[in-house]
Amino acid sequence: MSPLDTTESAQQITRILFQGFPGWLEAAFYIVGFSAIGVFLYGCYVQVRKYRRGRPLSISPLGRGVWDMVQLMLSHRTLSRRDPAAGHTHWLIFFGFGLLFLGTSTITLEYDILAPLAGVKFWYGDFYLWFSLVMDIAGAGLIIGLLYMMYRREWLALPKLDYARPDRGPQDPDYDRSGYRREDWAFLWALVLIAVTGFLLEAARLVWLRADPLVWDYRWWSPAGAAIAWLLNATGMSAEGAGTLRVGLWWFHGLLALTFIALIPFTKAKHMFTAMAALAIRDPRPAALLPKADLSASGIGAGRITDFTWKQLLHFDACTKCGRCHEACPANATGFPLSPRDLVLTLREFANDTLSSAALPAGEALAAIGTGVNQVRPETLWSCRTCAACVEICPVGIEHVPVIVEMRRALIDMSSMEPTLQKVLQNIQTKGNSLGENKRKRPAWTKKLDFKIKDAREEPVDVLWFVGDYASFDPRYQKVSQAFARILHAAGVDFGILYEDEMTAGNDVRRVGEEGLYQHLAETNIETLGACTFRRIVTTDPHTYNTIRNEYPEFGGRYEIEHASAMIRRMLAQGQIRLKKKLDYRVTYHDPCHLGRLNKGYDPPRESMRMLGAEIVEMKRTRDNSFCCGAGGGRIWMPDPTDKQKPSENRMREAAQIDGLDVFVVNCPKCMNMFEDARKSTGNEERFQVMELIELVAECMDYDQHGGAAGQAATG
Amino acid sequence: MKILVPVKQVAVLDEDFELRDDGLDADPDFIDHESNEWDDYSYEAALQIMEAHGGVEVVPMTVGPEDAEESLRRCLAKGGERAIRVWDDALTGAGPATVAKLIAAVARREGADMVFAGTLSADHSYAMTGICVAAELGWPHVAVVTALEYQPGAATATVHRELEAGLVEKMTVECPAVLTIQLGINQPRYASLRGVKQAKEKPVDELSPADLGVSGEELAASASFRLRRMFKPARGQAELIEGTAAEQAARLASIIKELRGAA
Repeated sequence: MSPLDTTESAQQITRILFQGFPGWLEAAFYIVGFSAIGVFLYGCYVQVRKYRRGRPLSISPLGRGVWDMVQLMLSHRTLSRRDPAAGHTHWLIFFGFGLLFLGTSTITLEYDILAPLAGVKFWYGDFYLWFSLVMDIAGAGLIIGLLYMMYRREWLALPKLDYARPDRGPQDPDYDRSGYRREDWAFLWALVLIAVTGFLLEAARLVWLRADPLVWDYRWWSPAGAAIAWLLNATGMSAEGAGTLRVGLWWFHGLLALTFIALIPFTKAKHMFTAMAALAIRDPRPAALLPKADLSASGIGAGRITDFTWKQLLHFDACTKCGRCHEACPANATGFPLSPRDLVLTLREFANDTLSSAALPAGEALAAIGTGVNQVRPETLWSCRTCAACVEICPVGIEHVPVIVEMRRALIDMSSMEPTLQKVLQNIQTKGNSLGENKRKRPAWTKKLDFKIKDAREEPVDVLWFVGDYASFDPRYQKVSQAFARILHAAGVDFGILYEDEMTAGNDVRRVGEEGLYQHLAETNIETLGACTFRRIVTTDPHTYNTIRNEYPEFGGRYEIEHASAMIRRMLAQGQIRLKKKLDYRVTYHDPCHLGRLNKGYDPPRESMRMLGAEIVEMKRTRDNSFCCGAGGGRIWMPDPTDKQKPSENRMREAAQIDGLDVFVVNCPKCMNMFEDARKSTGNEERFQVMELIELVAECMDYDQHGGAAGQAATG
Repeated sequence: MKILVPVKQVAVLDEDFELRDDGLDADPDFIDHESNEWDDYSYEAALQIMEAHGGVEVVPMTVGPEDAEESLRRCLAKGGERAIRVWDDALTGAGPATVAKLIAAVARREGADMVFAGTLSADHSYAMTGICVAAELGWPHVAVVTALEYQPGAATATVHRELEAGLVEKMTVECPAVLTIQLGINQPRYASLRGVKQAKEKPVDELSPADLGVSGEELAASASFRLRRMFKPARGQAELIEGTAAEQAARLASIIKELRGAA
């Protein structure tokens, strides 16, 4: 049904552009408009030139990434996580701005292209009226969204938006970030003024043309403009006065909007493009699978800003300073000089300083690591736990962990590291383990068992258990390894280990940046595994699990691998593990980063605990927001300063808030090592225990299994 | 200007080891090898001089079998362009004076201006080799150097030696000289595995004593001592006293009484 009165010609229901403007004034507008577009295009060129100064990288296939990006834009899923109010109001701004932009483009399409070239017109009649309504709704949405963002900045005073830097002190020249705050406000005010003057302009036109029924009778199709027009009429404004007001508003609105467009590539507004691009080219496993380095090249890692890929340089520009990573980072939360946001912003500023001019500065001026202005400090890079809390929550898909690891590779190459870390790496080079133990002592923990674990080097096994360093040598975790061996044995699993020939899998060696040693470890272990016959691998260590699952395939090691928790769940569900009792514990579960965030193994341990009868009370920071124990990224090999809270202590205090907690359940040898200490240092030794999931199973298991599933294989 | 840095690949024994049948060494089954820790510091000292001044060459060398090349590669991974390895199977079990004779021969052949050795080696702990090199060359020497000021080409070097109770001795030594370097003089850099792999491209000259003009008789004559036997001392017995404080005290008292009774 048409909203139009049929007696009127539909063609006449429209808005006459430049109505009442002399020709020269219309020309002046076009000059300003093309200048703005020129500045915008120049800005885009400068940015693209900057990105192209990074290392090349081919991304394929691009199609799926673009489709993912479109879905994320439409749903705003990544923006709404852990901050739904910000996500929903950004949605209003995004669609408001987007529709208004599309609307203006539609008018340009008709007025400047189709009408003069082909004589085609469509912006009138029904289409025009619906168009007007949609634009008014879009404008209202935009204003509501912007007002909320202003409220959020001014009155919510969120710590994540105060731009306080943990990696700089007030004495540093690059400490001050008040420029960002001013830019934020300028951005919000510019958009609010453009939207509000748009409505006022609409109203002024209505009052000016109130005598024309073709305009006035259809005014409620622009409800916001009509409402303001009603107010203007109520003040007794004359049509001529409204006409003058309209001209003034027209120019103010137009010039402000064009200035905004011209400045997009130079201001935070560019995130409209960079964030979308970043999402379209994001890597599905940025922290789980790190980029392989060419060891024969003359250099390694990212010591200079030009050592980053163009994609990483684009990432630095995609950051919107939303502060979600700042909030999630365990290093930042415990006072270490690292905030993922500030790392990205530091590199952004450094890239702008060095890569924006026509000529590329030489050599040392490109060094991105150091103690100078906008350089990343080594202690910042060493603070990272590679837990990927930042990568997980970043709404625009910035991949911080590979950036940090690439810079660490450069540090290792310069031998710039903690002496303790150097000692550990030397131990791994000579002994194959990080604890400096003799190779021959690796299987010593098996001596306490009353059966012999099969030697997978000597005979075929169904399951090859890759034990890992801490599970082999850490006295506390050796008990867990022994318990797991007894469980497998009693359940009738045909399993074996590599004894002395197992070397550390290398996950954390890679994450501290010793890529050469990592590749050596991966190749050696793959060779060892290649000489054995087995169907699948199991490990209790999430770090080992991650690197064998995600990184070994690049070195030719393709295996079916399972974390112990997944195997336990299956054996419980299938009755392969039979229980003699159920637990009546109240427990909480700590997701290890490498099992949870990096490999999405959130559910098997929880389902296992439920099958054991435990009551699980979740901590506030759980699953994808789990708070790292502090050991990841090789930090277990570096001493934490004694004047700061350790991440593990922060976590223990969180767990201690659970009433009647019996057991803090861990699922990783390194978490166990961290939390056993933290439980004592936070005075929770008497309140609850730290136990492995495996130990809970061991407590309930009926070891005298006869027949049934246990009969599948010889139990020795 | 050239600094020669003799390094050694040392033996690391297992906690539980057995002796070789002839009783002159540990059973090789219980031995791992690694670079001597002191040599990390002497090599670092040489590299720092090389990096601070132009025209300085640092040459690492070792007297040892093929396996010992690993230690030279680790040096070359950190810096330096070539290395020298001296060996002949007859040198198996050679003592410090014999090894020193060969190091001195290399120093002469290379025209070295300084020799930086480690104070001692972690396995045999003779602390003799560097000093013997000085004797062979007729150069002055300073042992256990904890700080070093040296300008390449200068007539003297100023060194610190740390003595008992933290007393520091500052002395000037005429160059060329042999310095044996103590742990802690610097912070040795890390040899990344990538660096070690790339160092495989760098040349290691392999020389025999004959190449250096040292005859078998001279080597035999240089032995300053003969190893007669290695043995494990009898292990002391320790007892961990467990139980309540009262039980522990009672057990301790009975041990004391027992010992007094035996005396």
